[in-house]
Amino acid sequence: MTPIPPPEDQSLRHHSFDGIQEFDRRLPNWWMVLLFGSILFWMVYWAYFEWFRVGLTGSQTVEREMEHIEAARLASAPTTDNASLWAMSRNHVFVEAGRATYATTCVSCHGDKLQGGIGPNLVDRLWIHGGNPTDLYATLDKGVLAKGMPAWVPVIGAKKSAEVVAFLLSHHAEGEPIEVQAAWIPILPK
Amino acid sequence: MSDKKITIEFNDKVVRQFLLASVIWGAVGMLVGVIIAAQLRYWQLNLDVPWLTFGRIRPLHTNAVIFAFVGNMMFAGVYYSTQRLVKARLASDFLSQLHFWGWQLIIVAAAITLPLGFSRGKEYGELIWPINIAVTLIWVVFAVNFFWTLARRREPTLYVGIWFYIATIITVAMLYIVNHLSIPTSLLHSYPLFGGVQDALVQWWYGHNAVAFFLTTPILGIMYYFVPKAAERPVYSYRMSVIHFWSLVFVYIWAGPHHLLNTALPDWLQTLGMTFSLMLWAPSWAGMLNGLLTIRGAWDKLRTEPVLKFFAVAVTFYGMSTFEGPLLSIKAVSALGHYTDWIIGHVHSGTLGWNGFMAAGMIYWLLPRLWNKPLHSVPLANLHFWLGTVGILLYTAAMWTSGITQGVMLNATTEGGTVLAYPNFLETVTTIRPMMMMRLIGGGLYLVGWFLLIYNLWKTVAGAQAVNGTIEVFDDAGDITADEKLSLMGTFLSPPVAFSVLGVGFACAWMFGNDVLSIAGLVSLMLCVVAAYAHFESRGKKWASWWDRLLVNSAPFTILVVIAVAAGGLVQIIPTVLMHRAANVEDRRQFPYTPLELAGRDIYVSEGCYNCHSQMIRTLVPDVLRYGDYSRLGESIYDHPFQWGSKRTGPDLARVGSKYPNIWHYRHMENPRSISAGSIMPNYPWLLTKATDIAALPGKISVQRMLGVPYPAWSPAEVFANVDAQAKAIADDLRAAGTSVAPDREIVALIAYLQKLGKFETVAPAKSSAR
Repeated sequence: MTPIPPPEDQSLRHHSFDGIQEFDRRLPNWWMVLLFGSILFWMVYWAYFEWFRVGLTGSQTVEREMEHIEAARLASAPTTDNASLWAMSRNHVFVEAGRATYATTCVSCHGDKLQGGIGPNLVDRLWIHGGNPTDLYATLDKGVLAKGMPAWVPVIGAKKSAEVVAFLLSHHAEGEPIEVQAAWIPILPK
Repeated sequence: MSDKKITIEFNDKVVRQFLLASVIWGAVGMLVGVIIAAQLRYWQLNLDVPWLTFGRIRPLHTNAVIFAFVGNMMFAGVYYSTQRLVKARLASDFLSQLHFWGWQLIIVAAAITLPLGFSRGKEYGELIWPINIAVTLIWVVFAVNFFWTLARRREPTLYVGIWFYIATIITVAMLYIVNHLSIPTSLLHSYPLFGGVQDALVQWWYGHNAVAFFLTTPILGIMYYFVPKAAERPVYSYRMSVIHFWSLVFVYIWAGPHHLLNTALPDWLQTLGMTFSLMLWAPSWAGMLNGLLTIRGAWDKLRTEPVLKFFAVAVTFYGMSTFEGPLLSIKAVSALGHYTDWIIGHVHSGTLGWNGFMAAGMIYWLLPRLWNKPLHSVPLANLHFWLGTVGILLYTAAMWTSGITQGVMLNATTEGGTVLAYPNFLETVTTIRPMMMMRLIGGGLYLVGWFLLIYNLWKTVAGAQAVNGTIEVFDDAGDITADEKLSLMGTFLSPPVAFSVLGVGFACAWMFGNDVLSIAGLVSLMLCVVAAYAHFESRGKKWASWWDRLLVNSAPFTILVVIAVAAGGLVQIIPTVLMHRAANVEDRRQFPYTPLELAGRDIYVSEGCYNCHSQMIRTLVPDVLRYGDYSRLGESIYDHPFQWGSKRTGPDLARVGSKYPNIWHYRHMENPRSISAGSIMPNYPWLLTKATDIAALPGKISVQRMLGVPYPAWSPAEVFANVDAQAKAIADDLRAAGTSVAPDREIVALIAYLQKLGKFETVAPAKSSAR
């Protein structure tokens, strides 16, 4: 960098504070643009959102967007009748996708071998909330909030949920007996 | 003027005391910072010890570096420079010593109470009420000592550094007192006066301006003294000092709500917070320009003089973080960066870069002068500089990467935007763990640099003779003539003040008035700006001569500063306090906590859970997809203090109630990894064994009633019966799930509280009120 010529110009103020002097240079133009530009932006932004209320508020925006998401979900929901889910459970692609989701989302409560833990065993023939594929899907959809099972479909989506059901069903056979269990006593990790 | 010269000896003893205190507390504060950074990377380092757990010692870190490190550094710099700038010894040796020892006592009290879990639960405002009172009193001592010194000055005109000191003293007092208003329930515990959204607004009005007026304005004042001294160059532009001082102190105050963007805070406040933050960019950069361009004439000295190197990098970081701040205040950027490490990184480029390096530069400059001995080792100081610089760069780079990565992951959706790409929060935490390591290394290097400073200081000071500066001055040099005196009328009825007050008034009429008033306000604002411009162009001399007179009248100057800094707070806080009360809430209102839940909430606050968990689902799709419906203003209206949080190291908890069974929480608090493999949350085993403080509840509830929470007029016996019933139900449920715990343990109260989160009643929509 070339040394800037010492601007010992007339703008140096005479007063000195403990030896400190001050130039009285004018403010850079770009700085003035920044200052007045940001003030102007405030006025325009305020007018747009708060004065004329053209811009939507945060809650209006999110409610509108969530409506679109609901619509998209309804439009793209997979078929979740018993026959389709059983068919999916025999399809390697669905089962492997379901296994991956299970490993991140379900394993902490239901165990790595589906043997149960905080939540019930999913490989035996005992079912609390119904053992048909549609029952499994409904449990995922609504959750069992009182027992700590969250409603997963809204979180992971209908597609992944159906895949998880397919993965669970892959441990069972179509037509095997479904026994009713009253409740699950949590097995707690040590 | 008499021709009798007198010799003044400055009180440099107190400067030396504050300087040493700053160096020592700085090491402590930074060390705690490195420890908590290590705890984030290695949760085992929480050691299962209550007083070493992250939630309790993170407040220790923030309070120590702000109030102990920068505080003491500021007092040293202010006292050293003020005496010389006004040519007077500090007014009172007694007050100076009281200030010093009082402040150290406060720090010790903070260092004991915070790890023990005594906390008000508000960031940088955690200290309990007896300490709050002590802080206020000592601050008053500081103010008296300072203004008394000004009154005895032998230099009539106030230098720009002094302007910033005045603004600091006034504004910190105002912020601190308002944000610490609370009603005690015992010697060690209190509830803040404000609740919910009011408390949120007041807290961030304080929190943001603690950064502004504790970490920025006093250091700018210090910059205006020490940078030209070290560079031996005149300040770049006086005109810029004037404009940047007034615009900075006026605008800063309005920007607090940028900490609450996209939350339940009313939209008009969010808009003010965002737009005023953008308006801060230019004033802040003027400070940077004045610092950097002052050094510009002395680039050659940068090679040999570590002091100037520290200053140059400090001012550069000031410029960088004051650009980043407005950027992060844009709502869309905040949607990505808020609650992530980006914010922590932003703060640290300010504190490590600006505050830490200004401190180091000042200390290296002062040491030889205060002890009359050359610095022990310049190479060591250079090494400190490089270690520190690399440390900051590693730290901020890690935090940018970490914050943006996590923000992008948390906001990512899949399947046509209908589903979160990473529904498991933990996955996003696991991804950024390498960055936690890099941050630890960066912070560690910075700390090593600081230890080099301590060693250098030790070698310099050991055996050296402390010296006090002296000056010869005409005794009556500070006297001003009668026509230089400014009356109150003369202060206000001056063109700059009149136009400014009118302009702000008209702007407020435009923003908050009804249709006609609003348009009238806008038109008047335009006319006012034009008139001010015309007046300045034609009668500029009048403005200049008034300003020159103001600078020799410290009291009118101070009054104008008070008005400038009070405006923003008044406009934002008063309507919020009047309007947003439980009675006016629309849509939803939270149920008041049962006594047991209240006890659990106090445990939540005491353990510092808010340091890692928010309770605020923003009006953003990814937040709603992840945590449920967005949080309404009424859902925290009884929360004294509010617990919206500012960082999500763990997930949001606003609607965690009923999401998991009691046993889940029990196991999770005992060992989070038994539930969530890979979690970095500390274990809280002591909650399982410690008894809840039930006896305090009747007193606490009566304070809550005073604050407007609708509790019935329970007798203590009724409170205890209520607690027993709920605690027993939870203990029974836990027993059914296979765990036996006494109902009076803290875990039971905490579970009761957690299960309550997100419970609300629907309120019939009232007539829509004015904003």
